[in-house]
Amino acid sequence: MRRAIRTALVWSLVSAAATATAWAHHSFAAAFDMNKPVTVQGTIVQIRLENPHSWFFLDVKNASGKVERWAFEAGTPSGMVRNGFKPGIIKKGVEVTIKGFHAKDPTQNAGMLRELIMADGTVYGMFGSQQGPAAQ
Amino acid sequence: MKPRMIGTVVVAITLALVWFAPTVVRTQQAETSAPAGPAPRLADGHPDLSGVWWGGSDIGAARGRGARGGGRGGARGGTPPPTFMSLYKPEAAAKAKTLSDKDDPTLRCVPTAFGTLNVSLWDVGAVGQIIATPKMVVMLTETYHGFRLIPTDGRPHRDDQPPAYRGDSVGRWDGDVFVVDTKNFTDNTWMSAEGRVSQHSDQLHIVERYRRVDANTLEIEATVEDPEVLTGPWTVPKQTLVLAPFDRILSLNCSGIETQALMDAAAKQSK
Repeated sequence: MRRAIRTALVWSLVSAAATATAWAHHSFAAAFDMNKPVTVQGTIVQIRLENPHSWFFLDVKNASGKVERWAFEAGTPSGMVRNGFKPGIIKKGVEVTIKGFHAKDPTQNAGMLRELIMADGTVYGMFGSQQGPAAQ
Repeated sequence: MKPRMIGTVVVAITLALVWFAPTVVRTQQAETSAPAGPAPRLADGHPDLSGVWWGGSDIGAARGRGARGGGRGGARGGTPPPTFMSLYKPEAAAKAKTLSDKDDPTLRCVPTAFGTLNVSLWDVGAVGQIIATPKMVVMLTETYHGFRLIPTDGRPHRDDQPPAYRGDSVGRWDGDVFVVDTKNFTDNTWMSAEGRVSQHSDQLHIVERYRRVDANTLEIEATVEDPEVLTGPWTVPKQTLVLAPFDRILSLNCSGIETQALMDAAAKQSK
């Protein structure tokens, strides 16, 4: 039951954050197709906590085994850092799964990050590990 | 799943969603909590505006509505107040139709002339810091490395300052209200960001009035004039900020390369 509640909470938080952010930033809606969810699994090669939005880069093996570089845009670093996403919290080289929405341009290996899932099941939303006022 | 479990999950989801209605919830909390102490004062007796000021949260929903009093210019019932863009002269409105999200200068890390949430102290973000002394008030923005140095000794605007993204500011005290006069802007920024096309000219002139109501509350009113772009002055909805529970903003980089590239690609895709 604990697991079910945790899963429900995570989904609620993530979807609420995604909605709020899409509302707050026209650029997300302009750049990403909210009707085209995407999930990739790969190795983190770089995380940039920068403005205007943070970016997660990872290497992903495609169906033919070729490694492709993917880029996911996340929230502003202000919110991420103050919500518990400290620099270095995810190391280069770790395996992660990222769920999000694909860029409107289908030729781009890029998306908006909705959630990042670590190998141990830890889930980070686009605004970090703790998405709520108590996190500050 | 057992009924009890379902109930627990529903409660959990509800709590999570309530969590994400921060403006209403936290505003009510603030209004029912113990009153804040009086505004601190500087050595010269004027209110000390120093502190990190925000709307109460960094989260997306709070960013949009963080500061009470409008944010984007929301109405308190009745007719919504005019927005900056609604006052465009016809030629400015025509130019606005040729621009879109991908032209937003903030995507290239260029700050705004005013602020995305109608708070100049915040610029593009939703938090800013004031460091006040009797002779100078320093306003720092977190998102785009912006700052304003505002002398308070009655000196005029400087004549050696090239036009700047954030203009040139001078300040004076009107009783307990700090009045900031800003002009000498470049004409290549927008008033706000995040896709709201809001160009202005180099004739932009902004007058802000800061009042620290109590130890935890800062009210800001502002009037914006731009005779080349607007049909008349724009009265910015009053913003009410709260003191943040930390005393330093972050130093954050901006690159914007990938964001701009994606925006351009998406724009081409939609043609």
